[in-house]
Amino acid sequence: MAIRFQHVLLMNNACLLLACLLGASGSLASTQKDKPVSGSASSIDNEYFEIGFNTGILNLQDFSSEFTVGANVSFKATEDFFLQFNYLRTDVGLSSFEKDSPVGRYFEGDDRTYSHYDLLVGYNLLQGEFFFREGEANLSTLYLVAGVGDTEFGGEANFTYTLGAGYEVSFARRFVMRFDYRNFIYTSNLIVEEDGSTRNGLLSVGLGYLF
Amino acid sequence: MRQNKLFILFFVLVSSMSLAKDKAILRLQVIDPYADVHSGPGRGYPVLHAIEEGEYIDVLTRRPGWYEVRTQNGRVGWVTAAKISRTIQVSGEPADLPDVSFGDYLKNTWRVGYSAGVFSSGELDGSDLWSAFVGYRATSWLGVEAEYGKAYREDVRGDYYGVNVLVEPISKWRLSPYLLLGLGNIKIDSQPGFVPLPLNSSSDYQNYAIGTNFYLGRNFLIKLEYRSYIVSTDTDDAGLGSWRLGFNTFF
Repeated sequence: MAIRFQHVLLMNNACLLLACLLGASGSLASTQKDKPVSGSASSIDNEYFEIGFNTGILNLQDFSSEFTVGANVSFKATEDFFLQFNYLRTDVGLSSFEKDSPVGRYFEGDDRTYSHYDLLVGYNLLQGEFFFREGEANLSTLYLVAGVGDTEFGGEANFTYTLGAGYEVSFARRFVMRFDYRNFIYTSNLIVEEDGSTRNGLLSVGLGYLF
Repeated sequence: MRQNKLFILFFVLVSSMSLAKDKAILRLQVIDPYADVHSGPGRGYPVLHAIEEGEYIDVLTRRPGWYEVRTQNGRVGWVTAAKISRTIQVSGEPADLPDVSFGDYLKNTWRVGYSAGVFSSGELDGSDLWSAFVGYRATSWLGVEAEYGKAYREDVRGDYYGVNVLVEPISKWRLSPYLLLGLGNIKIDSQPGFVPLPLNSSSDYQNYAIGTNFYLGRNFLIKLEYRSYIVSTDTDDAGLGSWRLGFNTFF
């Protein structure tokens, strides 16, 4: 295999040389000489931030499953770690208690809007390449996230733990597609549970832009 | 529909901004005997080819710990920042690439991070808290930061914002202690159905903290901190204490 690569490389070099000699590849040769060469590292384009949005289905414990729209900003700290801010909101339907109860809705208006944001640290567990087509490698990673945040629903504001996993694949130089599962865990007094904790699951698909 | 349009507009704006950055390309000469060129910015991506001593490379893009380079024969790939640390510019001077210049690398950096923890004493004892901040470090040992955070308990919730000065005298150590001093304002509210606390509405506070940073990577750290607050209420001053664990990154 290595010999074959060398052969290809040599062939490339030979072709290049020939092309240069013939003057056919004049543009390539001139870029090597004429392009202004900056002396500073500030001319390097950084790709550290990613903004994105996602849509998904949020399963609310004791309430309905809702379609959500969210936005996120990520900062790539190292090859392995990133920090991420997420925001999502949705209007919530009736709980099973409310459907059967003669009293009707427990709360009204803005209180029926579920809004959540969190600050997460992510770890790229499995980095690799994904092939949509033969010969077209796209960078991909399977990652884990954990963090804390805020959930506001039913007039309450609750400290929330977020745990999740996701898969990211780039389909263009700066665009990525994400598939995520997130679990939001908090203590709520809206509907009293035996162990006191509420868990909401979010499955989402998102699009991100790296800059 | 209108939201969708806004998103599209935003993306177009951002894309055009990045296209507008038509800067001159940094060209360097490799003085390492050999460097692997990977297909992607991570150690798991396959090595496609190699660059050799004396070869010229154009540095195109920077991602954490990696540089995207183009070799003389037009091949593009990723090299670790550590590998091309010892390269020289066309002019013959050593290149001072970010990520690889040693010493004063914390200077002039922007920082972002967050922490989570719990109030361990005072009126808010037992409340969970989180805070997020943006900071700027003018020298390697001194920085300022603006923070915003919230606290939660079954019966109360609060939100606070403040400005802090951070002193980290020996930042070259991997485990590096720091001191923090600051001012802020905290607003406490009761959760629905609970009686308000005496420490109600909005109050100014001073806080000071002692903590330690542990550098997990060159620009990523985990921190542990104890913070003490003096909150000015209408009648007297109340004390609060909190423990927190957090992550910071800088660029």
